[in-house]
Amino acid sequence: MTAPEEQPTTAPDELLRIEGLRKTFPGVVALDNVDFDLRRGEVHVLLGENGAGKSTLIKMLSGAYRPDHGRILAEGREVRIDGAQDAERLGIATIYQEFNLVPDLTVAENIYLGRQPRRYGLVDHRRMRQDAAELLRRVGVDVRPDAKVRELGIARLQMVEIAKALSLDARVLIMDEPTAVLTSEEVDKLFAIVRQLREDGVGIVFITHHLEEIAALGDRVTVLRDGRSIDQVPASTPEDELVQLMVGRSIEQQYPRERPDTGDALLSVRGLTRDGVFHDISFDVHAGEVVGLAGLVGAGRTEVARAVFGADPYDAGTVDVRGERLARHDVPAAMSAGIGLVPEDRKGQGLVLDASVQENLGLVTLRSATRSGLVDLKGQRTAAARIAKQLGVRMSGIGQHVRTLSGGNQQKVVIGKWLLADTRVLILDEPTRGIDVGAKVEIYQLINELTASGHAVLMISSDLPEVLGMSDRVLVMAQGRIAGELPAEEATQDAVMALAVSTPTPPHAHPAPKNEEEGPRGH
Amino acid sequence: MATETLKSDTGAGGTSVIRRVLLDNGALSALVVLVVAMSLLSGDFLTTQNLLNVGVQAAVTAILAFGVTFVIVSAGIDLSVGSVAALSATVLAWSATSAGVPVVLAVVLAIVTGIACGFVNGALISYGKLPPFIATLAMLSIARGLSLVISQGSPIAFPDSVSRLGDTLGGWLPVPVLVMIAMGLVTALILGRTFIGRSMYAIGGNEEAARLSGLRVKRQKIVIYALSGLFAAVAGIVLASRLVSAQPQAAQGYELDAIAAVVIGGASLAGGVGKASGTLIGALILAVLRNGLNLLSVSAFWQQVVIGVVIALAVLLDTLRRKAGSGAASSAGTAPGAPGSGRRGALKFAGAALAVALVVGAVSYFNSGSSGSTKKIGMSLSTLNNPFFVQMKEGAQAEAEKAGIDLTVTDAQNDASQQANQLQNFTSSGVSSIIVNPVDSDAVGPGVRSANKADIPVIAADRGVNKADTATLVASDNVAGGKLAADALADKLGGKGSIVILQGTAGTSASRERGAGFAEGLKAYPDIKVVAKQPADFDRTKGLDVMTNLIQSHPGVTGVFAENDEMALGAAKALGSKAGKSVSVVGFDGTPDGLKAVEAGTLYASVAQQPAELGKIAVRNAVKAAKDEKVASTVKVPVKVVTRENVADFS
Repeated sequence: MTAPEEQPTTAPDELLRIEGLRKTFPGVVALDNVDFDLRRGEVHVLLGENGAGKSTLIKMLSGAYRPDHGRILAEGREVRIDGAQDAERLGIATIYQEFNLVPDLTVAENIYLGRQPRRYGLVDHRRMRQDAAELLRRVGVDVRPDAKVRELGIARLQMVEIAKALSLDARVLIMDEPTAVLTSEEVDKLFAIVRQLREDGVGIVFITHHLEEIAALGDRVTVLRDGRSIDQVPASTPEDELVQLMVGRSIEQQYPRERPDTGDALLSVRGLTRDGVFHDISFDVHAGEVVGLAGLVGAGRTEVARAVFGADPYDAGTVDVRGERLARHDVPAAMSAGIGLVPEDRKGQGLVLDASVQENLGLVTLRSATRSGLVDLKGQRTAAARIAKQLGVRMSGIGQHVRTLSGGNQQKVVIGKWLLADTRVLILDEPTRGIDVGAKVEIYQLINELTASGHAVLMISSDLPEVLGMSDRVLVMAQGRIAGELPAEEATQDAVMALAVSTPTPPHAHPAPKNEEEGPRGH
Repeated sequence: MATETLKSDTGAGGTSVIRRVLLDNGALSALVVLVVAMSLLSGDFLTTQNLLNVGVQAAVTAILAFGVTFVIVSAGIDLSVGSVAALSATVLAWSATSAGVPVVLAVVLAIVTGIACGFVNGALISYGKLPPFIATLAMLSIARGLSLVISQGSPIAFPDSVSRLGDTLGGWLPVPVLVMIAMGLVTALILGRTFIGRSMYAIGGNEEAARLSGLRVKRQKIVIYALSGLFAAVAGIVLASRLVSAQPQAAQGYELDAIAAVVIGGASLAGGVGKASGTLIGALILAVLRNGLNLLSVSAFWQQVVIGVVIALAVLLDTLRRKAGSGAASSAGTAPGAPGSGRRGALKFAGAALAVALVVGAVSYFNSGSSGSTKKIGMSLSTLNNPFFVQMKEGAQAEAEKAGIDLTVTDAQNDASQQANQLQNFTSSGVSSIIVNPVDSDAVGPGVRSANKADIPVIAADRGVNKADTATLVASDNVAGGKLAADALADKLGGKGSIVILQGTAGTSASRERGAGFAEGLKAYPDIKVVAKQPADFDRTKGLDVMTNLIQSHPGVTGVFAENDEMALGAAKALGSKAGKSVSVVGFDGTPDGLKAVEAGTLYASVAQQPAELGKIAVRNAVKAAKDEKVASTVKVPVKVVTRENVADFS
């Protein structure tokens, strides 16, 4: 990643200014006295922990919410943004973390959704395709305009969203954690496009949790904390200072890994193969050990984890837990052997969002808490309250719906339900994605406590510093195979990346597995 | 949600508790509003007897809806419950009577049938990967078809020992209400306390998360649908015992009532939300509405409109409540779902409640008959979806107006149990006599018997009543009419040819009697061959479709007998230019449209009844019977074959 060029100190013209913005929801002040401004041709980073008010702020700029107090000025004029149409008219486009694309329509149709060029009242498909192709070329992405959106990987979906924003002739582009789900290669590509847009004079509001991206891409940083704009600093501000601004306290150590002595192998995987997805995967995880599973998105890491856990079938190989062979494709069997999975898609696979903290925590132990058909609700409640307290889940009570918890607290609930079930081997798939710095450290501490008490952890992560900082051993996957194994002391970013982009050769003369640049992640 | 609401509500005290409970449950407040509105509008509503009636009338829907609650909470849908209920009842009646199985075993068989249907639904959904809508839609048709096959289209008498389920305990406490309460408690227990119940919420909330938490989702789903089938079987048995007969066509469309009850009760079709108490309230809302509208003498047509509006308003009320309650909780990351029901929410809420009351009030005001001082007569028609019965109704109304009588007409929509409800409502609102045009002669028995007990004379119109006393039967003879039709068609064809018969709705007495009469009459003409005999449900569109298909397989047909004019007109349409030329079509009923076609020549003949006359005579006899004057035990309304020659005398 290249260092930022010298920024022009002059602020030629201002696109957007926010003064004293306040927004309350029943019982909560989401934003209070927030100031913010955006100039033509700059990347202004919004930084803050989850729940600091970033989402609320951008939702007010995109017209989803109306402020209770304060002013929004667009190019010097005070404006009211009452809906998506108003935002569109003002040239404000927003790319949310969850994309607003229709999977079964083509790329061109998605870009021009609701504004298809028309001739004689009918959609002019030819012109739409041509215009879309031109936009996609400008974004620099290799996608056919008539490809179905469903067929695209996450990185390309994001490029389509950007193309859509460009088609609106956006002067202000708001990007909510665009890099959270991208591999570092894809991030580089995205940055190139963002820089291009900046040169074209677009003002970009950029939200990220990855501090290193700020220096690489940003011009200015506004830090939000507890709904207030705390400070505005240049993007070159050192990371530890930014963290301190964000959390209001300094974080001693970002990766507080303590390595206990390792014991016997708890999980042994041998020759695990699922045709076309992963091949000949073998590894052990010992008691007290954190094994990192690194690799590019699409390398097959999540698929291996799901197969080990019994969520998906496999074609060959074995999985043993403490010497006992596990049945294939059988989640309850894996569970009773002591494996737990914290899936990458927390909301889609880990939680019942509209159920309470208590119900979610009790999900895994539901069967063991059942006596002659009846669930021991009181026991469930006591256990849930105990574990929630132990994990420090911040909530109004165990009856609160998990949908309304912050990402970090949601993740604690997912982990908590496995701890209640006395899980010995915990598989964590992207455990800290979309979680703020403070909560991340809490989760790392939790991993430490687990391994100290003899549990084993297999951790998949696309966040390389996290893998390096927390793992005792790093397995690197590439193209469905294990490309290599690195002990903690030898694992550096360069070493891991070198393995991740390598083409591992199969021991026998197998045809090379399908190389899917952006394979589907999970389900 | 409940705990949070408690926290956010600062105002304590008695009134706020009630306010909170109501605000917290849109359906309950809708029910309260309805009950208050009905009590104000009708003096007959708030009596013990009538409230028990409401309970009985809610029972079948509620039991079905309890089963559907399981399915909906787990984010599925079950469209088959009405059919499965009918099939289970038919299996019970058939095995206990025709097959001679001991009654206890027959009951077990019926329950097993329900469970088996649910099991198949669940297996198709879990392992066949069919969407629940499709799988249960298929079962809706399969179960209905099987119940017609087993019963051969006719109702089967229900064993007496089981029929006690439809009776009362100690002469006043209706057993269906007890069964409903018991099933409700079982539902609440299953949903709240059992493993399978808690799993339903998890599966409905997020199926993948449930699976990855070790729940065997596929097996659970089979159990869930089997439970729904089990509840449907119980509902079917209760329904049949009320009517003392298992009707193959019973409970048609009940699946929609059940789904409506569940949704009115606050469940989400998206899954993960729903309660037994809500479902019970939903079923009670529907029953209170039907009962109240009967008591208020609201026109049968308007009743359906009102029911639809109230369903929409009740759910709207609940949506508004939720909005007022939870604010924009999902917005800011940390915003806890603290409901601070603002004043605006409460206002909207009150507005919606007022709207419910206004709709009911307005419709009943504009529709209610004259003052209560004159004599009141209730008339329950099998259907108003057919010109014949509409004419009967018009004849009756004309006569009532002439005599200065307050006549309330209700439409049973070809549903024997709805007719039982209507008779019950008439009886409890103290009419001086009742005219009933039975959906089914056996099934109407219990309803007429309870009117007998209350000393209210009952006049049967068009169809007879079995196993109960009626003051008189006013009818045209369907069997004789069938014979006349056979003679007319045979004469026209010169005693030979091949003909097609279009049958009415399977299982109805009109279809059976006309068909039997026609077959009887045809015996005299051995050279006439019946090449096809297919049901078209008394419906013109279906008559058109069925005839179109039959022409393909039997191009040489020279005659058609349709068991009513509607189907005959459909057949004539299908025949096109052949109708009246190379193919002779004979209908039945002599409706205005039918007579016009006879005049035009597309129908050769129709067997004319005189429905308006029938209605008039029924009212005349009802008035006499109410005054304790003597009436003849049967009054025959003449039936005649109408052809082009004599059509002028009829129109």
